[in-house]
Amino acid sequence: MNSLTTAFFIAAAMILFAGCYMLVRSHNMIRLVIAVEVVMKAVTLVLVFAGYSNGNTALSQSFIITIIVAEVVVAVVATGIAIAVYRNNGDLDLRKLNKLNG
Amino acid sequence: MQGILIFLLILLVMGSVACVMFRSKVKAAISLALISVILSIIMFALGQFWAAIFELSVCAGLVTVVFVCAVSLTRPDRHNQEVEEAYHKKVSGLPVFMVILGIGLMIILTMGNFDFSVTVDAAAQVRTFNDVFWNTRQADIIGQIIIILAGAFAVVILFKEGDKA
Repeated sequence: MNSLTTAFFIAAAMILFAGCYMLVRSHNMIRLVIAVEVVMKAVTLVLVFAGYSNGNTALSQSFIITIIVAEVVVAVVATGIAIAVYRNNGDLDLRKLNKLNG
Repeated sequence: MQGILIFLLILLVMGSVACVMFRSKVKAAISLALISVILSIIMFALGQFWAAIFELSVCAGLVTVVFVCAVSLTRPDRHNQEVEEAYHKKVSGLPVFMVILGIGLMIILTMGNFDFSVTVDAAAQVRTFNDVFWNTRQADIIGQIIIILAGAFAVVILFKEGDKA
């Protein structure tokens, strides 16, 4: 395995770890959405390298664009939910979302 | 070329660590935009121009604006600042974990006999992005349209004003 492949795998794994660490440690809703975005960056990085290494950049680009669209919609909707929760509760802490009646 | 890519990857990892560790959410959002910019430079370097343009315009631009707007709409109170302080203490060990993970992965990947070799498809290299995206991956385009419509519908529902009566 060449050094570039190793570097890409290690970088992707480290970014994935950082995003997951933020997901586990934070209770703030906006910070959680940012963590999901960080995890998605790791996935995009692996796809970029996969397309480069097997020479099929056209296919990898179409996958990346699909991922970007999904990522943006997730970010916008999740942020909207966070703002709606803030308007109702006055707080973004997930631990305080225990007053739901249903 | 290889040295530049490795340097960009190191910047990418440092940006992700900064994004996790920043106390301010605006700074975290800006460092997320920085990650997107570096990722788009890597895409440009590896010849994936369309994906790089999308990453730069949408992820580094639009998503950052959305996050900064969300942060400004949700003003932190005194309790929130205490929570942020507690969060910063919790994640202060992240750089150490990252270094251990990086060294561990480097040892595993260099010592182990992993074979990640791929067969290069000569026919696929000739195909252009336009050809693949518009002719081969049409289901993806329909999926993207549905996702965007669902997202727009969700935002309309979330921000709908209640009946005044």
